[in-house]
Amino acid sequence: MKKVLAAALALTMLAAPVFSVPVKAAEAQEPITLTVFRGDPGDQPAEDNKIYKKIEEEFGVKFEFEFLAGDLDEKLGMMIAGEDYPDLFDGGNSADLIIQNGALINLLDYVSPEKTPRLWAHIEPQLNRIIEKDEDGNDVMYIIPNYGLADGEQIVNQVNGPAFFIQKQVLEWGGYPQIHTLNEYFDLLDRFIEANPTDENGTPYTGFDILCEDWRHFCLINPVQHLMGRPNDGEVLVDINSDDFYTETFIDKPYAKAYYQKLNEQFHKGLISRDTFVMNYDQYIAALSSGTVLGMFDQTWDFNNATFALQDANMYKNTYVALGLVYDPEYVDGKEIEEHYVNGSLPNLRRGFGISVNCECPERIVAMWEEMMSDEWQMLFNWGVEGEDYYVEDGRLMMTEEQYANSLNNNWKLHNKAEAFTQSSPKKQGWIMDGELAGNCWEPANQPEIVFGQMSEYDKAFLSAYGYQKFADFVNPPIELAPYGEAWQIDYTPVDIAHQDFLDIQDKMLPELIMCDPADFDALWDDFVEQITPSATEFGEYMWGAVQAEAAKVLGE
Amino acid sequence: MRSISKKNELSTGRSGSAGFGKKLTKQWQLLLMSVPMLLYVLLFNYGPMWGWITAFQDYKPKKGITGSEFVGLKNFKWLFSRPDFLQSIRNTLGMSVINLVLGTITSILLAILLNEVRHTGFKRVVQTVTYLPHFLSMVIVVGMAQNIFASNGPINQFLTGVGLIKTPIFFLGEGKLFWWLVGIINVWKEVGWNTIIYIAAMTAIDPSLYEAASIDGAGRFAKIRYITLPGIKSTFVILLIMNIGHLMEAGFELQYLLSSSLTIDWAQTIDIFVLKYGISKQQYGVATAAGMFKSIVAIILLFTANTIAKKLDESTLV
Amino acid sequence: MEKTAVAGKSNKIKTDRVFPVVNTIILVALMFFTLYPVLNTVAYSFNEGTDALRGNIGLLPRKFSLDSYKSILSDAAVYRAAWISASKTVLITLLNLFWTSMLAYALSRKEFVLRKLITVIMVLTMYVNAGLIPNYLLISKTLNLSNKYLVYIIPCMFSCFNMIVIRTYIANLPEALVESARIDGAGDIRIFWQIIFPLCKPVLATVALFVAVGSWNSWFDTYLYAGGKKNLYTLQYLLKMKLATTQASANAAKSTAEAMTTLGQTTPITIRCAITVIATVPILVVYPFLQQYFVKGIALGSVKE
Repeated sequence: MKKVLAAALALTMLAAPVFSVPVKAAEAQEPITLTVFRGDPGDQPAEDNKIYKKIEEEFGVKFEFEFLAGDLDEKLGMMIAGEDYPDLFDGGNSADLIIQNGALINLLDYVSPEKTPRLWAHIEPQLNRIIEKDEDGNDVMYIIPNYGLADGEQIVNQVNGPAFFIQKQVLEWGGYPQIHTLNEYFDLLDRFIEANPTDENGTPYTGFDILCEDWRHFCLINPVQHLMGRPNDGEVLVDINSDDFYTETFIDKPYAKAYYQKLNEQFHKGLISRDTFVMNYDQYIAALSSGTVLGMFDQTWDFNNATFALQDANMYKNTYVALGLVYDPEYVDGKEIEEHYVNGSLPNLRRGFGISVNCECPERIVAMWEEMMSDEWQMLFNWGVEGEDYYVEDGRLMMTEEQYANSLNNNWKLHNKAEAFTQSSPKKQGWIMDGELAGNCWEPANQPEIVFGQMSEYDKAFLSAYGYQKFADFVNPPIELAPYGEAWQIDYTPVDIAHQDFLDIQDKMLPELIMCDPADFDALWDDFVEQITPSATEFGEYMWGAVQAEAAKVLGE
Repeated sequence: MRSISKKNELSTGRSGSAGFGKKLTKQWQLLLMSVPMLLYVLLFNYGPMWGWITAFQDYKPKKGITGSEFVGLKNFKWLFSRPDFLQSIRNTLGMSVINLVLGTITSILLAILLNEVRHTGFKRVVQTVTYLPHFLSMVIVVGMAQNIFASNGPINQFLTGVGLIKTPIFFLGEGKLFWWLVGIINVWKEVGWNTIIYIAAMTAIDPSLYEAASIDGAGRFAKIRYITLPGIKSTFVILLIMNIGHLMEAGFELQYLLSSSLTIDWAQTIDIFVLKYGISKQQYGVATAAGMFKSIVAIILLFTANTIAKKLDESTLV
Repeated sequence: MEKTAVAGKSNKIKTDRVFPVVNTIILVALMFFTLYPVLNTVAYSFNEGTDALRGNIGLLPRKFSLDSYKSILSDAAVYRAAWISASKTVLITLLNLFWTSMLAYALSRKEFVLRKLITVIMVLTMYVNAGLIPNYLLISKTLNLSNKYLVYIIPCMFSCFNMIVIRTYIANLPEALVESARIDGAGDIRIFWQIIFPLCKPVLATVALFVAVGSWNSWFDTYLYAGGKKNLYTLQYLLKMKLATTQASANAAKSTAEAMTTLGQTTPITIRCAITVIATVPILVVYPFLQQYFVKGIALGSVKE
């Protein structure tokens, strides 16, 4: 039996390379079908999609898409084991896995200033970050970042990332105060809820919600770094002023204790409910959508749906403003902390399409990308067809109500946009720099006429009460991106297990700390620090080294 | 009848090899009926079993089984050095025992109640309606359960309303209640579905037995006890043995969705552990080692249960 | 069979009158508890998406809307996928019943000399699993079934659990049936096909239900072996994909730090409920045809004569 098994096994292993599906060898414009995998879910585009039709006419290229339906790591594991790679391969959040397993080709063999001037110009400003070293020390580029390589001045209309949020009606009730510190924030919430325990329908207000579900636990564990004056570095705090980019985990430090002690205090005041710790995402969105949650720490995109629901119900006063809070000096030895929630724009490293080793026509794909970086193609991808999907008036790109509504309609997009392809491809973002359309935005969602044209009367009045132009004015303008980028992008696979322990202990003990008897808080905190120190140290030290390595790439040391 | 067939079996078991070959030739029709599926499972179920070798490897999909490094028992040692793995074994067993006991009792009970319904239309309606929750996705079911068991949910409102408790019970945040919540939700979702198999088994009971018992003056409960229950006994025993073998599987999705960091110590099952540390962290060797451990325990449980059943002279699986 | 001890007569009359009432009450209560979540799901599926985010919907939609159904059913791919799902379900069910019941009969014969060995080999398949990757390599590489319709059929032709269920049922049938047929000179294949198989209708209907529902609801095989072939998508896979896509706005934003907006009157909550309804209705339609076999029972007595 054993022998049979061994033979079967040997056969299986031998069979692997023999059976891999060959892609039709491509001559210049001979029609081909490229297989495409995207590491996130998506809808198959319609057969009659006008953009894909143009691509087919122009380049002779058709796409066969596969989107992710189950668990990404599981799916990639299968593809690697069988070497079943598509031509265009976007590994989503686990792209590191396919890179490490040698699934992608080095694009530097095909992308160069001579061969692909447009692509090169596109990546050049961030070349230091994009080019990496492989195991043998060679320069490699597996993926051209799909986002974050924007032209012109950074566009910040609103805070898209992390912030402390507060309902507009609370600020309105408080007489439009300036709220910049933790104490000011909770003090206002306390006073509001004391004066208004319930909403118009008699439903009690919840002061502050903390979403803890699964990966969304950043609402619980991330705030401290921002209170210390840094943008999002994930689970570490980097001392940007030190020569060696000193990096440490922050959750186990005394300055973190202050935050959770504050939450403990607020819990016992009744501002935080125990049910927040067992809430799932749907319940959280339901609570926010009902307009009865006054504040929370979160990231704007994470509760988009709730914002839509509130706007849809004309409850603009219950929508949220992003505030950039920092610690009051009393918590950090009298130090004044400068607020930085918004970071300089950051290339989305190692995210987007790579070309797999199974692909037989990499030159052709790169040549297509090069052509697609032209203004004409970029306009087509971003805005669509002039006259159909947008119009130009006095040099400004505009959309009618109907065109705008279409651009947000998923079903329409399947017929008229090529998002399945463009979301992972290299693309232009930011401002249009040259030509007749200079001064417009590449992306309709950023175009000032569209952003401000859609703003409600309530929001306009609210902003003018503060004397602001846009909601991003509640926080400081972006700071310069640190040489290491943002630390959450760093691949920590080598300390995966320590990192998991590190997170598990936080998930378990931070809610306990928030709910415990204030008299027990100190002892429980010490216990927490003791439990988390081993994994925190291992993870923190690894991250310090990684942050230094990333910075060295950019600083050229 | 049982004793006769038992004797048959014993005699075949002890017959010599010459007799065996002869018998097998004579039973060529039975052989013909079994061989296709025998080959089938050898290919599809046993063929891939080479994968168990990876339990002793630091398996990398790219390198394959021939290229991956052998690490001895390292994966097993790692598993058993993790307190949360031991905890997940405890949770798995705890929840599956609760599921097994609650699930079996309720589905047999429902089958009996349905069997007692004379009106066929009503019977079919009840039967159809009770199995419907089987088709709801776990996400939906858990979402509802979370609302029902919330601090201000209907159950707490009812309990405080009738004065049974003063402050609402934190059902979703108490680790010790978690296993029971899982048990209750499973019953709610699956009782109708699990009943089907017993209802089908009851159709094999000869209706004339009930008639004869009625003529003898047997009451309803007597008929249930002396006709219905014995009629489904072998189904019950066989399912029980199979399910005892499955005690290492307590499911995954329900616990994953229903748990929070407050209850995770009671909620993490082996399958969740494997997902967290095996697949997601590319520790395929660890995942296989855990699977192998589960299989071995399952087989031990299965044969123990089977032997006990045999000792008790009940129908057996093997 | 033992003859029954008889309960007191007055007692008997009392239970005979009270029991049906109590029984009906219990069953009606049970129906309420199981029907409520189902109707609640239906109500959500007919509700407007953003409004449903607020929760607290009971048995009726709060803001009626067909958008969730429209957004799913307007996609022509759904109908092709439904056809793939239905055809593979029928094929698998027939093949599975055929192979499984035949083996069940063979293993129910106590005189079969290989009975024990084969039973053990079969039973173990329920408890050992090689893991995903070896299975994947077998089906996708060794057998080269990826992106072929047969990948839905070939790996799903047998289930040991169902075999045991049928075997148990057969073992409960009167042995005399087989013995008398054998005296008449019938071989095992004929006995199985002409005598046992027809008698197994209730259990076959049960097993058919298990197999069909399992096959109808599966999406994993598409995900592993046919994810790149949209012509082979099954209904469940497509629906699962639609749900994932609806939820993706947040996930995409998570990875790209881009706040993507996908407005519209559908949200994951309503889409999920509409999907459940769409996927379940076909089962409800087919169910009564199978149900009649295992609810009514068969007249064994007449066969025996």
